[in-house]
Amino acid sequence: MLRSLANVPVELSKLFKWKMTMSNNYFNTLALRDQLEQLGKCRFMHLNEFTEGVDALKGKKIVVIGCGAQGLNQGLNLRDSGLDVSYTLRQAAIDEKRQSWKNASENGFTVGTYKELIPTADVVLNLTPDKQHTAVVTEIMPLMKKDACLSYSHGFNVVEEGMQIRQDLTVIMVAPKCPGSEVRAEYVRGFGVPTLIAVHEDNDPQGQGLALAKAYAVGTGGHKAGVLMSSFIAEVKSDLMGEQTILCGMLQTGSILCFDKMVEKGIDAGYASKLVQYGWEVVTEALKYGGVTNMLDRLSNPDKIAAFDLAEELKDIMRPLYNKHQDDIMDGTFSSGMMADWAEDDAKLLGWRAETAETAFEKTPAGDMEISEQEFFDHGILMVAMVKAGVELAFETMTAAGIIADSAYYESLHETPLIANTIARKKLYEMNATISDTAEYGCYLYNHACLPLLQDFMKKIDTDVIGKGTVNDDNGVDNARLIEVNAALRAHPVEQIGGILRGHMSDMKAII
Amino acid sequence: MQIHLQQCQFEFEQGFQLQDINWQIKSGQHWVITGANGSGKSALVATLAGYGEKIAGTSEGSVEAVALVSFEAQAALIERERKKDDADILDVISVGTAVHEILAEGGTNANIVKDLVEKFALNYLLDRPFRALSTGETRKILLIQALASEPQLLLLDEPFDGLDADTLAMLQQYLAKLSNTVNIVMVLNRSDEIPDFITHLGYMRNATLAHSVARADESGYRELFQLLHLKTSDLRIPPTADSSTQALLNPDQPLVVLSDICVKYDQLKVLQNFNWRIDTGQHWQLCGPNGSGKTAILSLITGDHPQCYSNDIFVFGFQRGNGESIWQIKQFIGYVSTALQWEYRVGTSLRNVIVSGFYDSIGLYSKATDKQRQIADQWLALLGMQGRADQSFNKLSFGDQRLLLIARAMVKHPPLLILDEPCLGLDDINRQLVLALIEKICAAGLSTVLYVNHHSEDTIAGIENYKNIEKHSSNVD
Ligand SMILES: NC(=O)c1ccc[n+]([C@@H]2O[C@H](COP(=O)([O-])OP(=O)(O)OC[C@H]3O[C@@H](n4cnc5c(N)ncnc54)[C@H](OP(=O)(O)O)[C@@H]3O)[C@@H](O)[C@H]2O)c1
Repeated sequence: MLRSLANVPVELSKLFKWKMTMSNNYFNTLALRDQLEQLGKCRFMHLNEFTEGVDALKGKKIVVIGCGAQGLNQGLNLRDSGLDVSYTLRQAAIDEKRQSWKNASENGFTVGTYKELIPTADVVLNLTPDKQHTAVVTEIMPLMKKDACLSYSHGFNVVEEGMQIRQDLTVIMVAPKCPGSEVRAEYVRGFGVPTLIAVHEDNDPQGQGLALAKAYAVGTGGHKAGVLMSSFIAEVKSDLMGEQTILCGMLQTGSILCFDKMVEKGIDAGYASKLVQYGWEVVTEALKYGGVTNMLDRLSNPDKIAAFDLAEELKDIMRPLYNKHQDDIMDGTFSSGMMADWAEDDAKLLGWRAETAETAFEKTPAGDMEISEQEFFDHGILMVAMVKAGVELAFETMTAAGIIADSAYYESLHETPLIANTIARKKLYEMNATISDTAEYGCYLYNHACLPLLQDFMKKIDTDVIGKGTVNDDNGVDNARLIEVNAALRAHPVEQIGGILRGHMSDMKAII
Repeated sequence: MQIHLQQCQFEFEQGFQLQDINWQIKSGQHWVITGANGSGKSALVATLAGYGEKIAGTSEGSVEAVALVSFEAQAALIERERKKDDADILDVISVGTAVHEILAEGGTNANIVKDLVEKFALNYLLDRPFRALSTGETRKILLIQALASEPQLLLLDEPFDGLDADTLAMLQQYLAKLSNTVNIVMVLNRSDEIPDFITHLGYMRNATLAHSVARADESGYRELFQLLHLKTSDLRIPPTADSSTQALLNPDQPLVVLSDICVKYDQLKVLQNFNWRIDTGQHWQLCGPNGSGKTAILSLITGDHPQCYSNDIFVFGFQRGNGESIWQIKQFIGYVSTALQWEYRVGTSLRNVIVSGFYDSIGLYSKATDKQRQIADQWLALLGMQGRADQSFNKLSFGDQRLLLIARAMVKHPPLLILDEPCLGLDDINRQLVLALIEKICAAGLSTVLYVNHHSEDTIAGIENYKNIEKHSSNVD
C-alpha cells in the first residue's frame, strides 16, 4: 500500500499521510520489552573504535538530498574528509536556482535531479526537513540502487511515521547534536560536534550499517567530540522530549514570564528585554562548563539558596507537565497531533508563530545599557532557577521513561546553551526560526500549557529574584542549609553523568 | 643634569647621519640603547660625549662631566699610542705610555683607580706599556679610567663584551651601586644583559630613535624587551617532534602547481586563468590590491576554499579531488593570517596553542606528548615568553598572539609556510617583532616561505620571487 503512494500526486499523499502513519507508528508496533530495549540503547563510544576512519565510505558515491543547514555543512565536511559527495535537489529548486541550489553549486559540488543522481548513489543522505521525509523517501526509494544505504539525521520518519523501507536497503542515522553551522565550524577547527549514530535493525540486510554510520561520523568529525551509539527510537523520543520542554519551551515561557514580571514591577523595559535576551546565554555558559552546580555556584550564597528553593518549587509545579509531554511523545499522541496540523498546512503552527512575534518581550528592543556578566546572574536568579528546574525535570522524566542517562544528558543540559545562544542573537523569533518545525510545534504546546501553570507562582515573584537582585547587606547564610543545598546540587544524576561526559569531551577538547 | 634633544640631526664622518632624534634624559634615569648593527645606537650615545656635528634641531641641558667607553674610543686611544711609536725619532724602541700613566690621565681619582685595579685584578700590568695589552685588558683599563674620572654621566658602549663571568658579575654590581649617584647610558646588544637598575629602554632603527619606553610602562617595556631579545639573541629554531613531513615529499616534484584557476562567487569572477608553480626552496612574495583574489589563492592551496575541488590543483603530491582529506594537505603547511587570529579565540594556554600546530587544529584536542610540550617551551623561550606557558592565549596582547601563531605555524617545520599579511593590524614595534621572527625563520631555511603583504617597507630578506596579481573581477555573462 505504501509503495503505491509513490505514484499518488503530492497533494493527495499529504492528505493521506497522517491517517496512514497514525496506525503505522513504528514504536507502537513493538512489544514492550523491545520498546524498552530500544529506548535503553545508548553507549558512549571510545575513540579507538574509529581507527578505520572513513574507509567504509571510501570510493562510495554519496548523494545528499537537500542542501540546507545540515545538508550543506555535513557535505562540506565529508568532502574534506576525502569522500565523494554530490547533491540532488527537487526539480523546482534547480529550475529556480534557489538558495539550496546556490549552496551546492557555488561550493563546487555536482548538482542533479533525483533521476540523474539517486540511481548512481551507494549512500543517500536524506537531509530534507522532517516533514517532507515521507514524500521525499517515497519518491527516491524506487530510484535507489539495490543494496544501497539510506541515511537520516533524525529518526522521526522511521519511528513516528513508520516509514517502510525496501528490504535490501541499509538504513542508518547519523545525527549531529548541533546546528549545521557548528557542524562545519568545529570540523574546520580540527574538532567536531557530539554525534548520535544508530542502525535501523529492521533494515540492516548485510550487517554493514554500523560500519557505515561510524565512517560517516568520522567524515563529519563527530568522532573527535564523542559519539553515542543509540537507536532510532531512543534518538527520536529523547530528542522530541528535550526540544519541547527545557530547550525551547522552558526558555520561551521563561522569557515571557520574566520580562512581563519586570515590566509589571516598574523596571525599565529596555533593561528587562536585555536581561532576558542575553541572560539565558550567559547563565547557560556556566552550565556548559560545569553543569547545574557551576551555574548556581556563580551566585552568592544567599542567592544560591534562593535559586535552589525556587527551582524546587518550579519542579513540583511543572512535573506533571513534563510527564505529559513524555507520555504524549511515547504513545504517539504528540506526533499524530502535529501531523494533523501538517495536513492543515500548518495552520496551528503558523498561528502560534504569529502570536510569539506579538509578545511584549519580542517587541521591546534591548536597551543600550551595560550589563556585566555577573549582573546577569545576580539579577537573574529566577532565570537560573528556571534553567535548573527545566534541565533536571527533563532529565528525570526521560530517564524514568527508560532513556539512558547519556542520551538524556545530551538532549537536555548539553543543548541548552546552544538554544540560549539563538535567543541572544535574535530573541524568540530567531530561536523558532532556527529549530525544526517539530521542535517549534512542541515548544508552543509547552508554552501554552506552562504559562497558566506558573500563574500563581509568578504572583509571589518580585524584583529581588528577577531584575534588581537581592540587597544583601549581610551575605550570611545558615551553614547547615548551605551544605545541604550544595550536596543536593552535586548529587543530582544529571551532574554525575555530566561530569563523566564533559570529562570525555575536555580530554579531547581544550576549548569549548 | 638633564639633556633634551629635539628634532636633532647629527652628522658623522663619512656622511653617516642620525635623523629626527628626540630624546630626553633626566637626572636619576638610566638608559639602555639598542638596535640592529648599523642602526646608529653607538653614534647616538656618542653624541652625548660631543661626537658628531649637530646640523639641525635643538639640544638643551647641561652635563658637567661625561665619560665614554666604547670600541671607537678604545680604537682611538690605541691608534694614538701607535702614532707615538711612529713619531719617535729616536732609534730606540719606544715603550709607549705605561698603563698607570694612562689611568692617571684626565684627572682621575687615584683612590678609585686603586680600588678598581684591585677589583679587576690588574695590578700585574700597571707598569706595562698600554699598547702591549690585549683587547680585553685595554677595555678594562679604559673602564677604570672612565669610572675613576667621576663623571656625572657615564656612557658605556657594550661594556660587558668579552668579560669573563666573574669580572662581569663584579662590574654589574659596581655599576648598580654607582647608579645611585651617576646617570648611566649603555649600548647593549643582548637583552639578557640589561641590568635591573635600568629605568628606560631605547631602540634605534634606521638612524633614528624609533622607540623609547620607561620600565614603569609594563606592557610597552615588555614588548621592547622582546624585540631586543628577538633581534639580538643568537636564536636557533627549535627542532620538530618527529621527522618533518618534508620527508614524505618527492623532491623532484614542485610543492604547488595551480593551473588555469577560476574562482567565482555568484555572478562575480575573482580569479580567471591563474597559473602558479612553487618549487621547494623558492621563497615568494604575493602582491596585489584588496579583492584581487590573494586570499582565494592561498585558501585554494590550503584546501580551505570550497572551489578547490573544481579546479586543477596539485599540492604536495596530491592532485586535489581524488580522495585525499584536507588534513593530509594541511600537514605540509604552516599558516598565519589575521583571519586565523580572529578564529583562534580560545582560552587555552600558550603552550597548547603552539602544540596545536602539530595537529593543524584551532585549540588542542589531542594529548600533547612530552616532546611536543618541550618543543613548545623552546619556542616560548625563543619568543622571549619563557615562564608564561600556562597563561591564557586570549589574554595576550594582539602582537604577542601573532608571534605565538607564527610559532604554531612553524613548530612542525612545514615544507610550506604561508604568511598572509602577517603584520596586518600591528603597531610598529610589534611589526618589527614579527618581521624579526620571520627573518630568523627564512634564514633557517627549513620551510619554503610564501609571503603576502601590502606594505613595501615590510620586506623580508631572502625572498626573491614576486607574484603580482591584478584586480580583474568581472561579471559572468
Ligand atoms: N537543524 C539542526 O540543528 C539539526 C540537527 C540535527 C539533525 N537535523 C536534521 O537534519 C535534517 C535536515 O534539517 P535542516 O535543518 O538541515 O533543514 P533545512 O535547513 O530546512 O534544509 C532542508 C533542505 O531540504 C530541501 N527541501 C525542502 N523541502 C523539500 C522537499 N519537499 N523535497 C526535497 N527537498 C526539500 C530544502 O531546499 P529547497 O527548499 O530549496 O528544495 C533545503 O535545502 C532533518 O532531518 C533534521 O531533523 C537538524
